[in-house]
Amino acid sequence: MKSTKTNISRRHFLQTSAGAITAAGMLGTTPLFASGTDVVKLQFMYPVGVSGDINRIVTGMINNFNSSHEKIQVEPIYAGSYDNTEQKVMTSLGVGEPPATWLPINSALQTFLGMDALADVTSLAKADDIYQDFLPGFLSICESEEKLYGLPFQCSTPVLYYNKDLFAKAGINKAPDNWTELLETAKALTIRNGSDVSQWGVTFGGGWHDWIFESFVRQNALVPWQKDKVMFDAPEAIDALEFWVKMVKEGVMPSASTWQGSANDFMAGRTAMLYHSTGSLTNLRKSSPFEVGVAFMPKNKTYGATIGGGPILMAKNQPDAHLNASWTFARWMTNTQNQTHWCKETGYIAARKSSWEGEDLKTFVNEVPAAKVALDQAAYAGAFLQVPGYHKVREYLKSALDRTLAGEIDPTSALKDATKQSNREIERLMRRRS
Amino acid sequence: MRFPFQNTTKESLVALAMLLPSLIFLTAFTYWPILRSLYFSFHDVMLGSDKIYFLGWENYERVLTDGLFWKSFRNTAFYTLITIPVAIVCALLLAVALDTKIKGVSLYRSAFFYPVMIPSVAAGMVWVFLYAPGYGPINGMMDALGLPKLEWLYSSDWALPAIMVMSIWKYSGYFMLILLAALQLVPRDLYEAAKLDGVSTWHQLIHITVPLISPTIYFVVIIGILHSYQIFDYVFVMTQGGPADATNVLTLYIYQNAFQYQDIGFASTVANMLLLFICILIGLIAATLGRRVHYLGR
Repeated sequence: MKSTKTNISRRHFLQTSAGAITAAGMLGTTPLFASGTDVVKLQFMYPVGVSGDINRIVTGMINNFNSSHEKIQVEPIYAGSYDNTEQKVMTSLGVGEPPATWLPINSALQTFLGMDALADVTSLAKADDIYQDFLPGFLSICESEEKLYGLPFQCSTPVLYYNKDLFAKAGINKAPDNWTELLETAKALTIRNGSDVSQWGVTFGGGWHDWIFESFVRQNALVPWQKDKVMFDAPEAIDALEFWVKMVKEGVMPSASTWQGSANDFMAGRTAMLYHSTGSLTNLRKSSPFEVGVAFMPKNKTYGATIGGGPILMAKNQPDAHLNASWTFARWMTNTQNQTHWCKETGYIAARKSSWEGEDLKTFVNEVPAAKVALDQAAYAGAFLQVPGYHKVREYLKSALDRTLAGEIDPTSALKDATKQSNREIERLMRRRS
Repeated sequence: MRFPFQNTTKESLVALAMLLPSLIFLTAFTYWPILRSLYFSFHDVMLGSDKIYFLGWENYERVLTDGLFWKSFRNTAFYTLITIPVAIVCALLLAVALDTKIKGVSLYRSAFFYPVMIPSVAAGMVWVFLYAPGYGPINGMMDALGLPKLEWLYSSDWALPAIMVMSIWKYSGYFMLILLAALQLVPRDLYEAAKLDGVSTWHQLIHITVPLISPTIYFVVIIGILHSYQIFDYVFVMTQGGPADATNVLTLYIYQNAFQYQDIGFASTVANMLLLFICILIGLIAATLGRRVHYLGR
């Protein structure tokens, strides 16, 4: 078990370093719309948002695209995390040289719209099969006021991963289905030696725990935001955070973790259950030295999930030829076959109905039923925090969650504080727009 | 007899001409940005937009009630308060040890100065590897010594101390070099006299060396504080401020606000607060430690 983790970690470290070096090398990059005589050159900026070998898979797909499209050359630019990627795009927008296409988290949609940066692709999509073939929930994360601004590419939700070996050892034969069962199961799976915890019952992937938190609020039957305000201090949200605090106080869940660290912990058997993106599924399944179970996030009043991952967006201010080429690229990355491939390779949810109806994915789901859990759960899912100033609002929320779980402040005060600050930020941005 | 202030116009012009190159750079890249950030701090300014709105004191109100600002402030202060004294003591001991005529002394001096020459981003990456929980050599060592393995950069309790250890490693060599230069100027006969009187090495250090190089120590303290309040590179490379903002520091918070949240006005406000704190801190140090500095022969 130990040696497996060592290998995984070393590979991740090397990947990350290689990525950082590649990204650094890109700093003095080529002009963005530099086209040769015939060939249209595009840049595609993308992040790696989950655990696994995503970089290799994306560049592989883009190589395939380039070799099958003589007139278009797409340059893949790995830009780090979602935040890094969005920030690079915003900076390049600031100097008027955005990449032709990029992949942010869906929540950044309003931010980019606020910068007047996005091409409206509604008519292109209507002339195509987009509205018929994409799963409506996923298409809606790319929409604002009934206009379409991108195509959903890497759609995810958090899911509950569990270690079947540890479950069997503790004599538990099913995943928890509601919050009460979650706490009980976590208690039964926690192993401590004095004050030292050698095995946590459950870990919520840190760094994106605000995204997971919104799922908990949705399980309390509330979407804690509207397009111009957040309601983190609603009773449903406070109740969700109180539940988290209870889990920490009972000693079954660590008060903080990191995104990559929590996935490593799960693979190394240091946590029996893990809330993480479905995009990590293939990596967790293949790299764990035990059988990985996947289940819906347990419900409270209802099931609920937040859609993560992102759409491929296209820059507004680019020549027609480039916009068309960008559309061709986005369309290709999200075609039936590629969505199937992407889904199998990573665990991200294929966004097209035709992918799920195809033989390829059907066979795969027969072999790996876990792959379909996130799709089924998506019936209860919605977009994540699509408000103006999302990056800052997210920080306010994360800070409130962190401080509460660290025991520095009570849930109600923390969430009231975060709501006040977030709404002030949203108001400021709305005031700027009008 | 002429007094210095009775310069002719010609002399003033020469002085100005000599100052001009550095003045141009200081104005363009220091004074102008300071004035501009002061102006921005009273306005709503967004990255990538030309529109600016007057806000009055709103940004300052927001800063003072912002939990994350205070957390970054505390982290920065904690970092400075521990890192700088420890690094200076290490540097002083190293400098004294290497101010002797032992064999291969220049090799030792280079060896201890070497960390300073490693680019901070590269050094950060190396330490990320050293600290890695699964396979990092540091945890390997802890295990071998029978100590508990730590999560280091992934733990909100240990991430900041971990960065501080690395900073001490990096600063010590730099401070050592400056202190070593000062040590060369301490008259040797003082030590010989002390030795004849039977003063121990420890007391020589406390009563002769430290007072006589106190101007340099004072300089190192000031430089150290300025450096540590500007810490950005290690945090950015190693933790990006996480986990759970445990390593967020003021410069990183300024950067996040300006470039991640596009809120130039707020970022400028935090920058001004940082400037204010540094001025107060340096003023306090000048008023306390500065008075105890002993200048040889004055």
